[in-house]
Amino acid sequence: MRHDLMEILVCPLCKGDLQLTVEKEEGAEILDGKLYCAACNETFPIEEGIPNLLPPDLRD
Amino acid sequence: MTAPTNDQIREAVSREYAGRVRGVLDGIEDEVPLVAASGCCSAPAAEEAPSCCGSDAGTDAQVTRIAALYSQAEVADLPSTVTDVSFGCGNPTAIAALQPGQVVLDLGSGGGIDCFLAAKMVGPAGKVYGVDRTPEMIALARKNAAKVGATNVEFRQGEIEALPVDSESVDVIISNCVINLAPDKDAVFREAFRVLKPGGRLQVSDMVWKREAPAELKSDLEQWAGCISGALLESEYVAKIRAAGFDNVTSDAREYELGKGLATTNVVATRPAGVPAPGRCC
Repeated sequence: MRHDLMEILVCPLCKGDLQLTVEKEEGAEILDGKLYCAACNETFPIEEGIPNLLPPDLRD
Repeated sequence: MTAPTNDQIREAVSREYAGRVRGVLDGIEDEVPLVAASGCCSAPAAEEAPSCCGSDAGTDAQVTRIAALYSQAEVADLPSTVTDVSFGCGNPTAIAALQPGQVVLDLGSGGGIDCFLAAKMVGPAGKVYGVDRTPEMIALARKNAAKVGATNVEFRQGEIEALPVDSESVDVIISNCVINLAPDKDAVFREAFRVLKPGGRLQVSDMVWKREAPAELKSDLEQWAGCISGALLESEYVAKIRAAGFDNVTSDAREYELGKGLATTNVVATRPAGVPAPGRCC
């Protein structure tokens, strides 16, 4: 995902802001990292460039 | 037969679509001829009912069908990994109505065809976001984005019943034969209302029933993935959109021949300006 996706991205549960932690990036593209919602205390992974924002109880 | 739970439905749908796209993903990796993916509604169990996308799963038929829906000019410059994995019933009108600079959200973006076509319409000043619950679809869509060279399209994995999208951030929501797959359609329309800007438009195509569906279909998981069991009565579908707060709701359901009442519809609805989204829970 690119950094500008953060403009529109929110927590799927409370619709609050997410804090981004980048672990690996290539140019403008974030490949691995985490999106954290402080209000819900939930972490959503970014893996291979794909932010996984499925609600936690629906993840595999 | 016991009715499946919402989670069972979600899992069955996800498994089915992941399976359909895997062959195409493998084709990209290995540079071998692509495996034709079957149409959205051509699950084997759906033989008797007509499919929303034609029951012929062959590559030629698939490409012809897509070309007919979108016109050759629009899809000619898209790679086959995009067009082979379009399972929709057709949403060309929604795409044609897009304006430069608009922000568009595609519910159930799949391999990305509608996103890429929308991206061309909204241009560099606009933005297109695709949401899909199946990781294999997102992976394919991202690879396709690189192939197409689309820079104003972003995909994320998410649930259309719990959108990870900011409130009042989208001009137009498009969706192509996907909402029927969601077990909680009230949540889908509530979320759609929330993320649309006031005055924003919901313009989706989907499967509906013109008359009551045979009861045995409602509990059949294979038929859910085939876009049949999850389809609502048209009147019920429209009522749910209105209940979410939309107005100016129109639906033009056209019944399939010998379809026992199954129909494809284009729905347009507006989020009225000056009406806040209903309170949300967390």
